[in-house]
Amino acid sequence: MGKYHLGEFEEIVLLTVAILHGEAYGVSIIDEIESRLKRSVSIGALQTVLRRLEDKGYLASEFGQATKIRGGKRKRYFTVTSLGKSTLREAKEQRVSMWNAIPEISLND
Amino acid sequence: MRSHDNNAPSKFWLSFFRWFCRAEYKEDIEGDLLERFDLRVDKQGVKIARKLFAKDVLRLFRPSMIRKIEGNQQLNYYDMFKHNLIINIRNFRRHKSSFLINLIGLTSGLTCVMLIYLWVNDELSVDKFHENQEELYQVMSNHSDASGISTLRGVPGLLLDEIEASVPEVALATAYTDIHEYTLSVGDRSLKTDGRFASAHYLEVFTYPLIEGNAATALSDNSSILITQSLSDKLFPDQNAIGKTIKWHFWNSSKDFIVKGILENTTKHSSEHFEFMLPWNYYHDELITFKNWGNYYGRISLLLNNNHNKDAAISKIDQLFKSNSKEENVALFLTLYADQYLYGKYKNGKQMGGRIESVQLFSIIAIFILVIACINFINLSTAKASHRTKEIGVKKSLGATRGSLTIQYLMESMLLTLIALLISFLAVWLLLPQFNFITQKQLALTFDWSLIKASFSIVLAVGLIAGSYPALYLSKLKALDILKGKQSPREGKAFGRKFLVVIQFSISTILIVGVLVIVKQMEFVKNQNIGYDRDNIVYFEREGQILTQYEAFLKELRNVPGVDKAAVSGFMVGGMNATGGVSWEGKTPEDQIQFFEFNTGTNLLGLLDIALLEGRDFSNEYSNNTEGVIFNETAIKAMGIKDPIGKTITHYTGPRQIIGVVKDFNIGSMHRQIEPTLFLYQPSETHFIMAKIKKGTEAATLQKIEQLYEKFNPDFPFKAQFVDQDYQALYISEERVAELSKYFAGLAIVISCLGLFGLTAFTTESRRKEISIRKVLGSSIWGIAKLLTGQFSLLVLLSIAIGLLISYFMADSWLNDFAYQIKLSWWFFAVAGVIAFAISWFTISIQTFKAARVNPAQSLRSE
Repeated sequence: MGKYHLGEFEEIVLLTVAILHGEAYGVSIIDEIESRLKRSVSIGALQTVLRRLEDKGYLASEFGQATKIRGGKRKRYFTVTSLGKSTLREAKEQRVSMWNAIPEISLND
Repeated sequence: MRSHDNNAPSKFWLSFFRWFCRAEYKEDIEGDLLERFDLRVDKQGVKIARKLFAKDVLRLFRPSMIRKIEGNQQLNYYDMFKHNLIINIRNFRRHKSSFLINLIGLTSGLTCVMLIYLWVNDELSVDKFHENQEELYQVMSNHSDASGISTLRGVPGLLLDEIEASVPEVALATAYTDIHEYTLSVGDRSLKTDGRFASAHYLEVFTYPLIEGNAATALSDNSSILITQSLSDKLFPDQNAIGKTIKWHFWNSSKDFIVKGILENTTKHSSEHFEFMLPWNYYHDELITFKNWGNYYGRISLLLNNNHNKDAAISKIDQLFKSNSKEENVALFLTLYADQYLYGKYKNGKQMGGRIESVQLFSIIAIFILVIACINFINLSTAKASHRTKEIGVKKSLGATRGSLTIQYLMESMLLTLIALLISFLAVWLLLPQFNFITQKQLALTFDWSLIKASFSIVLAVGLIAGSYPALYLSKLKALDILKGKQSPREGKAFGRKFLVVIQFSISTILIVGVLVIVKQMEFVKNQNIGYDRDNIVYFEREGQILTQYEAFLKELRNVPGVDKAAVSGFMVGGMNATGGVSWEGKTPEDQIQFFEFNTGTNLLGLLDIALLEGRDFSNEYSNNTEGVIFNETAIKAMGIKDPIGKTITHYTGPRQIIGVVKDFNIGSMHRQIEPTLFLYQPSETHFIMAKIKKGTEAATLQKIEQLYEKFNPDFPFKAQFVDQDYQALYISEERVAELSKYFAGLAIVISCLGLFGLTAFTTESRRKEISIRKVLGSSIWGIAKLLTGQFSLLVLLSIAIGLLISYFMADSWLNDFAYQIKLSWWFFAVAGVIAFAISWFTISIQTFKAARVNPAQSLRSE
């Protein structure tokens, strides 16, 4: 089988985790997506994607310190692995090369 | 941590999340949920945050988040389930006879229960369809006189305006009449059909939907008529009835009405069925001659603003009535309209049962039958336990816990009940037409949510009750004892089984006695001499030409071959009018007597064969009939008049001289005591023509009467009724109870016998070797049969004794409801006892004689 292709939402989540750089956990990722893209995201949808990306090896995670807020529950911080980074980069290059291949005319209406 | 708990998300959703979420994800996601919740509390408030929290949790409930069922656990549950199922099915197959006995017993039990459930449900839903039924009340009146308090629906019609004007607790009120059969005609076609008069707000107080027309205004106009869809189809087939004219006739009045609306046909959930409605104002203004506060011709229903105001409304209405009527012996009160159907009987002013009694009776019978079927299951499965002890021993030694064995046995009983349920659905479906015929209902087996819920809770309950005893008992056995062959479980539990058999047969005996008593009492009531002759007497309404030319009509009627006697008549089974407006010499204010009042012409007493004790009947030989009155014995006694003939009393229509006294007779059903009654000579006011027909010529004579009627009244439909049938109709509900209880009692006995059959089969089988050895040693067939039946016979005798005792008290209290009752003679109980004993002995002896006649060589050879 060929390479795994990122879905649209998966790509957004990966990018957000990269943007937050070390500060990416459930709630902060949702906030970031919601504020940047004006798009509402449920915890259910996000967590499903996070775990899937982790299974594929694009993300890694570890628990942070327990704090007094959030009912004493620890946060799980996500970071992008090197596999994740290269997949992101590849996705970007594919898009750029496709953009470049568009003839000038078809974009001018 | 959050400081106060009322800022916490709902516990339910949180624990739901904790329950389903994968363990490895639980901590951080829960943290996320809580953090998000707190943020939202700050921004949007607790309420919205909670709602969104629930939404978040629900959206997390997806396959990737839900924890997996642990591998081995899943396997085990599934396999044990499969294993138990296989064992259950094998067991059913191996013990075919007990399986069949249980199945038949449970199926018939469940079928009964389901039929009764459908019936009870239907009874409970009658009149509950009115939108505002919670606030919908009926105004009732309590009339107290020397003999007690009688409760009627009738109130003075004048009360309506007063209530509307000065009782603020009442939102809407409506007055109407009872439903009566009237003649309607369109052109030259006419028919008789049921209708009522109702005032303007009737269709707002009650929910009888209009297909066409305006509910608020349809009855406010004095010339409008509302008809149902079915009547519209009859009178105006394939046309729009709105705006058409219908002529209405009643006795000496008739009027043209214009159709202003089409009503939906009354549903089976309505206790009242009518085909048309006329304006109350017309009735009130044109037809009521004595429009005063002492005349109880109206029925009033009303909607309260608020149920809390019920007491205030009652006292205001009663005050209104008292201040207008100056009548101290009548009190008004309110009762829920919907309650009247089930709780319709009043005794001495207090609510005393009604149809609810039959509902309760049949519910109890249903439970009895189910209990009997459950007892069969318990008895047979504990009896058969000795066959299964090895299975239990092996299972236990392989590590089965008591719990898992209990589950296995419960599953077996549930499975059996479920099979029985499915078969009984089929049985109910097959039996429903017959059942509907007996009960005069239109029940249908529709698989709606409530039926499914009810039937599955029955399966669960029956499965648990029937299965719990064997399950707990069998699972208790010790593996070691069983495998060593130490414990024979049959011995220990024989007492419990005997006890259950006693219960079963006691119930059966009670049911047999019950049926006997009900049937005998009904026969007694129907054939009782009630003081007048009701056989072969027909009556029909005086309408059209017969109103004025009744003398000519009667003359011709008497000449019709087959007609014995004929007279004008105001007599009706159950009575029509009652009055308190009679006074006599020596009447004190406490002497409040309600007299039933009948209008007559000449010869009516002779026709009805009501015996004269003193004086004379109204007769053409005398000219002073109009000033005369005839009383019955009870009335004379109640008034305390000595030597009544010739004395004068004051009726509300004028002074009357007593010309005759008749022997007492029952106006209504035998539930009622004989009531004071008077006859007035008012031939032109009588409503009916009555005729006594010679026995055996009914059909031919009726046809001739109809021909004669058509000669006088070509435009009116002829409809004759038999007095006898009216009388029978008074007992219709008892008749149905009697009819149904026959079936149910029969069924209960059959199920009990099935159980007994199974038990004897089991005992004889397990004592096969003993029997053979006894035979070899010289015992006779009789001796062995006696040995085997002796024990059961004793049990059955004991239970018959118990059953007879209980049934005596039950029968006694049932009979107390009748004013005239049969004596509970000893032979009812003797017959019931003998029947129960004979049936059970027959059941037992089939088995025992078979066992006793077996060739000992065959059963002893097997080892």
